Amino acid sequence: MAEALARARRPSWLTVPVALGVVVVAFWIVAALTAPLWGLDEPLKMVARRLQPPSAEHWLGTDALGRDVFSRTIHGARISLAIAAVVVLAAVAIGAGLGALAGFFGGWWDAAVMRLVDVTLAFPPVLLAMAVAATLGPGLENAAVALVAVWWPVYARLMRAQVLEVKTREHVEAAIAGGATRSRLLFKHILSLCWTPIQVNATMDVGQVILLAAALSFIGLGASPPTPEWGAMISEGATQFYSWWIAFGPGFAILTLVLGFNFLGDGLRDLMDERSSR
Amino acid sequence: MFRFPAPRARAALAALILPLALAAPAHAQTLVIARDMDVNSLDPHRGFCDTCQIVFSSVYERLVDLAADNKTIIPLLAESWTSNDNQTVYTFTLNASAKFADGSPVTSAEVKWSLERLASLKADPGFLMDGLASIETPDARTVVITMAAPNSELLGILAAPYASIVNAKVAGAAGAASGAGADTADTAESWFLANSAGSGPFTLAAYAADDELRLARNDVYWRDAPAAAEVVIRQVKDSVTQAQMLQSGGADIAMQVDADTAAGLSDPNVVVSTVPSFNFVYIALGAGAEGMPIKMTKPVREAIGLAIDYEGAIDLIVGGEGKLQAAPIPNGFPGTENLPLPKRDVEKAKALMAEAGVAGPVKLDAVYPSVNVYGVDFNLLMQKVQQDLTEIGIELALQPVTFPVWRERIGATGIPVTAVYYAPDYFGSGQYASFFGLYEGSPWYNRSHAAKAEDAANPNMAEKMAAALAAPADKVDAAFHEVGMEMISDRIIIPVLSPNLILAHRANVEGVRYSACCNLPLAEISVK
Repeated sequence: MAEALARARRPSWLTVPVALGVVVVAFWIVAALTAPLWGLDEPLKMVARRLQPPSAEHWLGTDALGRDVFSRTIHGARISLAIAAVVVLAAVAIGAGLGALAGFFGGWWDAAVMRLVDVTLAFPPVLLAMAVAATLGPGLENAAVALVAVWWPVYARLMRAQVLEVKTREHVEAAIAGGATRSRLLFKHILSLCWTPIQVNATMDVGQVILLAAALSFIGLGASPPTPEWGAMISEGATQFYSWWIAFGPGFAILTLVLGFNFLGDGLRDLMDERSSR
Repeated sequence: MFRFPAPRARAALAALILPLALAAPAHAQTLVIARDMDVNSLDPHRGFCDTCQIVFSSVYERLVDLAADNKTIIPLLAESWTSNDNQTVYTFTLNASAKFADGSPVTSAEVKWSLERLASLKADPGFLMDGLASIETPDARTVVITMAAPNSELLGILAAPYASIVNAKVAGAAGAASGAGADTADTAESWFLANSAGSGPFTLAAYAADDELRLARNDVYWRDAPAAAEVVIRQVKDSVTQAQMLQSGGADIAMQVDADTAAGLSDPNVVVSTVPSFNFVYIALGAGAEGMPIKMTKPVREAIGLAIDYEGAIDLIVGGEGKLQAAPIPNGFPGTENLPLPKRDVEKAKALMAEAGVAGPVKLDAVYPSVNVYGVDFNLLMQKVQQDLTEIGIELALQPVTFPVWRERIGATGIPVTAVYYAPDYFGSGQYASFFGLYEGSPWYNRSHAAKAEDAANPNMAEKMAAALAAPADKVDAAFHEVGMEMISDRIIIPVLSPNLILAHRANVEGVRYSACCNLPLAEISVK
């Protein structure tokens, strides 16, 4: 009886994976915010002999320069999460902004924006990101720009579709009849109803951005040494084949965080849109 | 107690072993080498790369060779030679039995044609013939080479694989040209990618870029035939894959296994030998580079040199498999004996910085090629140098870039702190003096933008270099020693370490050695 009650009270979107996602993502966000307070070894300093396997002192061993891999992995969360947040927010701002205007005004502006979107989406995303990053030169800032260039069209398309759909609803017609200005119409009556898919998508994309940012760093187009960026760390670990722990730390971090954001995104979608959960 | 298996089992065992036993000799005929090939051309007078050294010295021959002691010049196509007192005229007598792979004899006409082709193609290795005045051929077996200025290193240069003697008739029919205008008239470069025209122990059988290069034994070779009937060089990019191929038996020799990977190799079938190499990596300071917050005067440069932890770098970057090097001339080359080795002295470095009036953290750009050569990961090297320099208040902003970008940057604006590597093109110290010496117009005079710096140019260098090149054989070492001292005091080129060469091979491979001219002499290698 008590069990049945508990099941009835638990919202349908809160599944085990979602709960796991929340926990993992929360852990990494807290880790990123508080990394300097953990009393870990300095991530850029040599603290022990190089290439030492995991031990009680250095939980994930040391890398080729004798730096603590665990400390670098935890500090790496600051970089990966920051770049993911910046990229997703910028992509949403640019993409959703242009998409909303395209959907709302239509005409030549719509055609121009959507053709640009089509052209950008026609490139394989990884190749386009590499091309942009390689043109701009290595560096985290440039990698972020490259990722935004790849990601904004998705949001433009999504937002435009939403705006087109909401635009024809009755409450919008009523608002027009009531003499609402264009900006009031767009911001108050239309956009407020368009955000749900954007939010779900953005949450899912955080994981993908982390992955692609790490990929760019892995091939040397992202973070410059000695930044403890996960992709760059895996790249260093790849040359130290027999010291598996160097790549394990950042690799496991990426795995958990990306998985966490995917689970979280799934749960968010179910929460926002009850239809898809059935 | 051991007992033979039952007859039926024995038959089965024999059936299993027999094909293996039959296959074994076939394997012994083929030598497989795993290597990251850097071939830019297989035309011996155009190509300029480490792999080229191996291939050219196996397919072609030079007038002279470098002995296994990596010092002594020994006969090859030339059986004897003499030079005049001031090292300008060299006379060679060719070995009468020398012949090309098509059976035709190697004559003085081919020697003249080939060396003039090397000079007139004006390709990468063309500089080796700088200062060539004339080549005379009084008869079919005599070659007289006259240099415009004394050159005590000509024999070392002629031992380089780029000074290969090519069958003029065969290559000429394929479009090869020599003499004035050859740089535009010669159309044989693509022919050399699939063919060869040499007198060496092997001939080129096939080459597929990014895949493999095959050499076949030259059946009419005029000296002792090589042990291997076929040599296959497989393109394998990274150290780990090379090591794995070695373990699985997919390769007999792996040429670029790095120290850390080698340390992890524990396989009774694999032998890892380490020899000092003539390669080195160095930090270079752009004394006249644009956009620096301080003036990079000599005291500052000296402080940087004193702040680097050389011993630690050897330990960290090449796992202890390396040597210190005093000047930008590799250990063991003429003039390097007793040069003062670099030593870390942070206190003195700090004092020099204070004396130079540099206070507080100084931020310097450190743009460098993001490469991994001779077992040295440049990202690792620069992170180590970055850590060392923080102790004297210098903060390096590391910027790994591709080689073309690096080359563009260092030419256009200069780079305050960078790292590069160098491998010898021939046996002799003159190449280092002319490449690293800070006389007007030299490569590193330009790259360090010495003209824009107060005290970077070295007014003595040109004169000392000329003196060393004109020195008689018994004075060459002393003369290059002085050149080395000048380069040390310039403090523009700071050698960090000379990585040892790690030669990993299967236990049944014999005769593997490192040569200063030719990298890996293939003809001496056999598979048992």
